[in-house]
Amino acid sequence: MSIYQSRDVKAHADKVWFERDTVLEKKHDKDISILLDFIRKLFKHKGAVIGAAIILVFILTAVFAPWLTSYDYESPDINAMLQAPSWEHPFGTDEFGRDILTRIIYGSRISLKVSLIAVAVSLVIGTVLGALAGYYGGVVDYIITSITDIAWSFPTTLLAIAFIAALGPGLQNVIIAIALASWSGYCRVVRGEVLSLRQREFIEAARILGMSDSRIIFKHILPNALTPVVVMATLELPKAIVIEASLSFLGLGAQPPLPSWGVILDSGKGLIGQAPWVSFFPGLMIMLVVLGFNLFGDALRDVLDPKS
Amino acid sequence: MLKYIVKRLILMIPVLLLMTLVVFSIFYFAPGDPVSRIAGPNVTEEVYKSIQKKYGLDQPFVVQYLRFLKSVAEGDLGISILQDRPVLEMIKERLPVTLQIGLLGFAITFAIAIPAGVAAAVKKNTAVDYLCMTGSLLGIAVPTFWLGMLLLYVFAYKLRWFPISGDGSFKQLVLPGFAIGLTNAAITARMVRSSMLEVLKQDYVRTARSKGLLEKTVVYRHALKNALIPVITLMGLRLGWILGGSVALEIIFSIPGIGRLMVDAILSRDFPVVQGSMLVLTSSIILANILADILYAIVDPRIRYG
Repeated sequence: MSIYQSRDVKAHADKVWFERDTVLEKKHDKDISILLDFIRKLFKHKGAVIGAAIILVFILTAVFAPWLTSYDYESPDINAMLQAPSWEHPFGTDEFGRDILTRIIYGSRISLKVSLIAVAVSLVIGTVLGALAGYYGGVVDYIITSITDIAWSFPTTLLAIAFIAALGPGLQNVIIAIALASWSGYCRVVRGEVLSLRQREFIEAARILGMSDSRIIFKHILPNALTPVVVMATLELPKAIVIEASLSFLGLGAQPPLPSWGVILDSGKGLIGQAPWVSFFPGLMIMLVVLGFNLFGDALRDVLDPKS
Repeated sequence: MLKYIVKRLILMIPVLLLMTLVVFSIFYFAPGDPVSRIAGPNVTEEVYKSIQKKYGLDQPFVVQYLRFLKSVAEGDLGISILQDRPVLEMIKERLPVTLQIGLLGFAITFAIAIPAGVAAAVKKNTAVDYLCMTGSLLGIAVPTFWLGMLLLYVFAYKLRWFPISGDGSFKQLVLPGFAIGLTNAAITARMVRSSMLEVLKQDYVRTARSKGLLEKTVVYRHALKNALIPVITLMGLRLGWILGGSVALEIIFSIPGIGRLMVDAILSRDFPVVQGSMLVLTSSIILANILADILYAIVDPRIRYG
């Protein structure tokens, strides 16, 4: 091999690599510009900004709870029972003299944990069932769709209560109950998306190339169904928070002295006449957080899917 | 029309069957031994066997389910473990109050949501619209039971217009009815608004306007009727939500309704009562959905031929 030839080969290889890099760079640039465009649109949306701010404060509160307050959420203080809101206790104290603000701050950890786990699990259940129903059709589809339709027509709260009735009260069971009660929405959405994608050429092509069903479903179909699922999950998070609070309020979820917002509300139930602040503030927090997620979720839907 | 109704009712049968299967399985597969649920953990072998036999718990799943189905079909929902009374009797005492709260809630929903939704649609992008939609946004976010507590504090404790707790008289049902009505109105008003906006764009509304009819006549006599059609389906779906929300309200306002019966039964592990009230609640939800479908077909003939 002469020196010239090898130089030619190297030049050629360099050229090829250079072209490949530019193509990749361009694709990368395109991805980034889509992302930037998405973020820009989201920032222009007033609801998204307010919603995101509320969600951010909520998450930071949950993460940094011990740094935000000097009181303990559990141990009673007999010198400070049922005090009205003051500088020392901005949200007042409960019948055991515990600082309500502190309990609410620690309670945000429970809300965040329950909603994240429950939504993640129900998302996986619903997505898998929806993908199976849409991809295979026939009897599989019929069975899954029938069960989903029934689950869908019942309110999540009642379904969750039914599962708690079987599993017994407790915070962990609440997570399971909410997850088992709220997958039907994802299943319906994913099934619809899969049905419409199944006939498309690129799926045909993947099948002809001999790809396995699971590879086609997970690598080629599900990523395309991501948008509606993400929007739905954003709007399911606040629902999970409210259901956890309601179940704990009914005594079916977190048990005292855990500072779940529902438990605090429950402890204020009998004190409405003499100490309304005990139940006022946790309810207000639930409302704010739900509002934040709803605003952000609606904005996300507007930006991601201009059709609806 | 009759054919459609019959068809719809027949389609309801598999749904009801599946629902009973689900309710039955929840308790069949629940962790824990069903016999000790009834008799407590410490029983002799003999008593254990006799209870197992009495309730048919030694039979396989299918036999137990069919037996359960048969007794439900005969109107027998079992005997309460704690009170030793027929579950059906207990439910019959409790159901009317819950239904009254629900009906009152619906009435308040319509009284608020329709005018608000129409006003928001007609005056789109004005202060009226923004006010209605902000109210709706807040109403969707507010937890129903917390709103109930606020109403209780303001109107029962401070203003003393309503009793704090009591016997289930109508006056006691007003506040929980409002708690349900206000939150439910929030979501309904949104729906009325978007449905109304859709209808106002239609040709026949333009025709009505160009005939020189008063704007009021166009909106209320021509547009509203069609705009309310999709709201009917929403209402059918909302009944379940109302029943679910009413559970906590019954506890706050100490009203002896079916929701409270169910929660008390869950906490005291009185399974026949839980199962019975669950069955009654779920079948009323299924029935409400069917009724909404039928009503939908009556007001909108296009559905029947679809």
